[in-house]
Amino acid sequence: MFDDVRNYLWLIPALPLLASALIALFGYSALRERSHWPCILGAGVSCVLSVLALIGVAGGADGGAVYYTWFQSGTVNVGFSLQADGLTAVMLVMVTFIGTLIAIYSAGYMRGAPGYPRYFAFVSLFLFSMTLLVLANNFILLYAAWEGVGLCSYLLIGFWYQRPAAAAAARKAFLVTRLGDIGLFLGILLLWKSFGHSLDYNEVFMAAARNPDPALLVPACLLLFLGAAGKSAQFPLHVWLPDAMEGPSPVSALIHAATMVTAGVYLVARCMPLFGLAPDAQLIVAIIGAFTALLAALIALTQTDLKRVLAYSTVSQLGFMFLALGAGTAQYGLAGLAVTAAIFHLFTHAFFKALLFLGAGSVMHAMGDVIDMRRFGGLRKVLPVTHWTFLCGAAALAGVPLLSGFWSKDEILAVAWDAGGQGAPHTGVYRLLFFSALVTAGLTAFYSARAYFMTFWGEERIPEEAYHHHVGDAASVACESEDEATPAASPTPHFESPGIMTWPLRILAVGAVGVGIVVVLPMGHFLEAHWIRQRFPQSLLPAESAHGHNILLMFVSGLVALAGIGLAYLFYVKKPALPGVLAKSAVRLYEASRNKFYLDELYAAFIVKPLSGLAQLLRVLDQYIVDGLVDLCGQIPSFFSFLFLRPVQNGLVQFYAILMALGVGGFLLSVLLR
Amino acid sequence: MTPVYLEHYLLVGAALFALGMIGFLARRNLIIMFLSAEMMLQGVAVNLVAFSRYRGNLGGQALTLFILTVAACEAAVALALILMLYRRRKSLDVSLWQELREPDQEPIVDEEPLPKRPEEEPSPRLTPAGRTPSPPTAVPQGARGDHTQEQETSHV
Amino acid sequence: MQTFLQLYWTLLLPVALGFVGVYLLLPRPGRSLPLLGALAGGAALLAAGFFVVRLPASIPESILFYAFAGVALLGGGMMITQKNPVHAALSFALVVLATCGLFLLQGAPFLFAATIIVYAGAIVVTFLFVIMLAQQAGLSDADQRSREPFLASLAGFVLMGALLCVLHKNFNTGELDRLLDEVEKVAQAKTAQEVKNLLGDPDLMPFGEKSLNLVTQLSAHFPETEKRLVENLEDAWGKMDVALLTERCKKVIDAGRRLRLATGILTPGQTRAGREREDGKKDAQLPLSPYSGVPANAKIIPTDDGKIPERLAARNVAALGRSLFTDHLVAVELAGVLLLVATIGAIAIAGRRAEGLR
Repeated sequence: MFDDVRNYLWLIPALPLLASALIALFGYSALRERSHWPCILGAGVSCVLSVLALIGVAGGADGGAVYYTWFQSGTVNVGFSLQADGLTAVMLVMVTFIGTLIAIYSAGYMRGAPGYPRYFAFVSLFLFSMTLLVLANNFILLYAAWEGVGLCSYLLIGFWYQRPAAAAAARKAFLVTRLGDIGLFLGILLLWKSFGHSLDYNEVFMAAARNPDPALLVPACLLLFLGAAGKSAQFPLHVWLPDAMEGPSPVSALIHAATMVTAGVYLVARCMPLFGLAPDAQLIVAIIGAFTALLAALIALTQTDLKRVLAYSTVSQLGFMFLALGAGTAQYGLAGLAVTAAIFHLFTHAFFKALLFLGAGSVMHAMGDVIDMRRFGGLRKVLPVTHWTFLCGAAALAGVPLLSGFWSKDEILAVAWDAGGQGAPHTGVYRLLFFSALVTAGLTAFYSARAYFMTFWGEERIPEEAYHHHVGDAASVACESEDEATPAASPTPHFESPGIMTWPLRILAVGAVGVGIVVVLPMGHFLEAHWIRQRFPQSLLPAESAHGHNILLMFVSGLVALAGIGLAYLFYVKKPALPGVLAKSAVRLYEASRNKFYLDELYAAFIVKPLSGLAQLLRVLDQYIVDGLVDLCGQIPSFFSFLFLRPVQNGLVQFYAILMALGVGGFLLSVLLR
Repeated sequence: MTPVYLEHYLLVGAALFALGMIGFLARRNLIIMFLSAEMMLQGVAVNLVAFSRYRGNLGGQALTLFILTVAACEAAVALALILMLYRRRKSLDVSLWQELREPDQEPIVDEEPLPKRPEEEPSPRLTPAGRTPSPPTAVPQGARGDHTQEQETSHV
Repeated sequence: MQTFLQLYWTLLLPVALGFVGVYLLLPRPGRSLPLLGALAGGAALLAAGFFVVRLPASIPESILFYAFAGVALLGGGMMITQKNPVHAALSFALVVLATCGLFLLQGAPFLFAATIIVYAGAIVVTFLFVIMLAQQAGLSDADQRSREPFLASLAGFVLMGALLCVLHKNFNTGELDRLLDEVEKVAQAKTAQEVKNLLGDPDLMPFGEKSLNLVTQLSAHFPETEKRLVENLEDAWGKMDVALLTERCKKVIDAGRRLRLATGILTPGQTRAGREREDGKKDAQLPLSPYSGVPANAKIIPTDDGKIPERLAARNVAALGRSLFTDHLVAVELAGVLLLVATIGAIAIAGRRAEGLR
């Protein structure tokens, strides 16, 4: 059974789906407080199978399999076909591993929440859609899973649908990503039309490689990128992601940091055989990526909501990944390096960003759902486990040398530098993008350190709500604290989260610190051997395997990161008055950043308002003109019936029956008399 | 020498059917309406059996058996429904149920007075089951309580 | 219209009388003429027996038919006109018993027993229970009034008249009998002169027209496949071959009897679906399996003495059982399920308290 990847590949999405169905059917009646078990078990077994698949792929197995024909119409033949190559295997392991940890964490975080079974049903459904998304072997299946993760994201952002903010955020996320999805679908149709009337990845890529017509490739790639930008929250469609933080924190960690938002990066990486042949599209991808990274980092500088800082940081890091992807062009043979850098960053980012979100969730859990960084501080002693794990995540995000974020960010910078090298198209632009990325890296270090210092350093402040919260379920916390590894010996109430939440944090912290240095070399070789060499057209392949590290660049980026952290230390620990002074001196810039550069307001003024006005106009039109006509039509028979038919409707059943009998008798007589 | 023809059975069946329909249309007691419906079914059954004989196979008889089954089901459900209706209005009169008329229609109320009938000799009655005979002075509370409560709630 | 009345007055007279009777007998508060109504109803029954059925009252079957049919219709009339629901229920029991007699006459002993048990036993008793539960206070107003007695009787009797006329039109075999009698007379003729007296002389026919009125009328009743039998008569008559004519007449009479008794005429001039075809192939639309006895669409072969074999014996209970559990197995299961569901439904409905929504 386990010697062939094909035998168990389908189980990886099927198990979470089964878990979801189980919870949906029996969650409220039988499982109730045990609803997390099917979810955790499904995700865990999927994770084991994913690791097996990774080993199988590393052993040279080619796991493409068509399980059955989904639908067929004319020349369109869409199979339910899955595949396992290097990229899929890496994504699968990442998704299921983090999914399992977050499911475990959720069991503690969501404890006692109304709709507990619903939550786990949605999470399982999400894992099903996400694993299907990376396993799909054709565009239609990918699109179905793509919509599936969008739906789950909507459902989970709106998990607390009673809160108007959550409902609005869910709607916004759904609508904004839908804009991108239209692009994706149009892109798929264009690919089908232009490249061989097929929807399988390989056949489309081969057809495109045979006939790389820029007039077709560039629009198709841009449409695909529109979908990717919607899903991965790139400018100008990034506005939904910060609002999505209304969902429960584990959801933010799983969907809006580690997995779903990287689907766009996955899509572009998967389609690199197309993008690599269209340098013009690649330039746009790179520009949008770099711009988004810079913009989001600037906004993150001034946010005071801990989760929003992390959300903008996610947007920014995704921008980094797109910058890397956009730097891969055919002429310079950079495509392989570019996707490796992007996927590597995606992988490490999943670890430290999930860790940061879970840490933020833990803070929120302890502080009675308060997430505003101005209202608490100095939590080092109060939340020791959370503090250490958050520190690991923040340092990895900042790019402190030798931690995971450092390696991956460095690879991205290297690719961006190489793309601006001699002989490449758009050299100047890429050089500019490289420096912008360097600045962004410094800003990243600054805001991540800022969030860390504001939360855990300074004088100890604990908001009122934390006490209320903990008086409420003191009993349960006390009960949980028995398996707490490091009980906090403080006179204040016991704030630290239960072990079921802190252990996933510890595991992720180890990952955030160590995963970079462990996989930095193997991953490059693995992806190249089992994906790039197999799937990319010859023209995109680099002449020789080049994974040399630019020592100078590493030094510079490490320096930039440390400088950012040092600056934050100066601002928020040594001289806490300094930020205020600085904000006063550059008040316009500060306000612009704090208000997210007024993008939401711009959208509201130029898109939402006119559309809503149009809707109002149409509503009036409908209500008074269309409805008026319909009502008039309704009035006519009622007018005539008033004359003679209405008295018949007297409510007596027998009267109706008499009329019916007379009718039948008359009919028979008429037949006879004919 | 000719035996009774098919036609004659069919005529009897049709006549039974029509008589049942008249009963269903004219009578106002829910139970008699239902008896009439059953009589219509009897008419159909006579027809089916006659055709069964006529065509020489048992399809008609089998179908009649199913009519019997359905009629039994119908009786069970209909009687339950009639009981429910009776509990609501304390009467079996179908004319009490005419709410589904046009909104501006007046309800149909019979105004023709009934003839005075001679007072009937009250028939002797047994003590209703479930209630202990008690001296007329002290009415046991428990036995009365349920009854009054049910009446009150039914008016709500 | 006039031809319609001429054709069907035997049917319409009892229907009209019945209308008058039922209309007068339906309960109503004002002046009523029960005696007149009863007279009219009785007259309707008598007229129906005399004009419509017209059976010789000498053989046991027709006596029994008269009795059962009369009791059934009388009971039906009483049921719908009784003021007291208890009496109505008892009349209904009478109808059921009489109907069961009709079942027995038609070779359905199992139905006879089952209907008595289920209807006259279970259902009527249940109805009586409900009546007694609901009407402890004696007659209610509802029982003494009828809803639209005139319109209701009119609707019912129009329907009845129409039904009777349609049935009579399609299943009356009197016309065929008359024609067959004529053919029989021809068959008994010994000499050419007798034939000429009966049918006319072919040589004297004007303009050499060689078609017989009798043949045209007869062939209207025969299905397409057997029309040739009748047309052969004309040929024999034209040649004045008495022996041949007698032989052919006998064939026609056989075929006619078959038609009338066994296969009947649904619509004159049409073949019945499912008959065995000329080329001997079985028709594709055999309705049932042979377990149910001789299939209706098998060819009927009269025995040597000209009798039609009995196709549905009175002792067919076993065959009915076989048919139920072979041809109608799924339907039987479904009926069982339906009964169970109805039981549960009745309990659920009646078990609810009067306040309804809970």
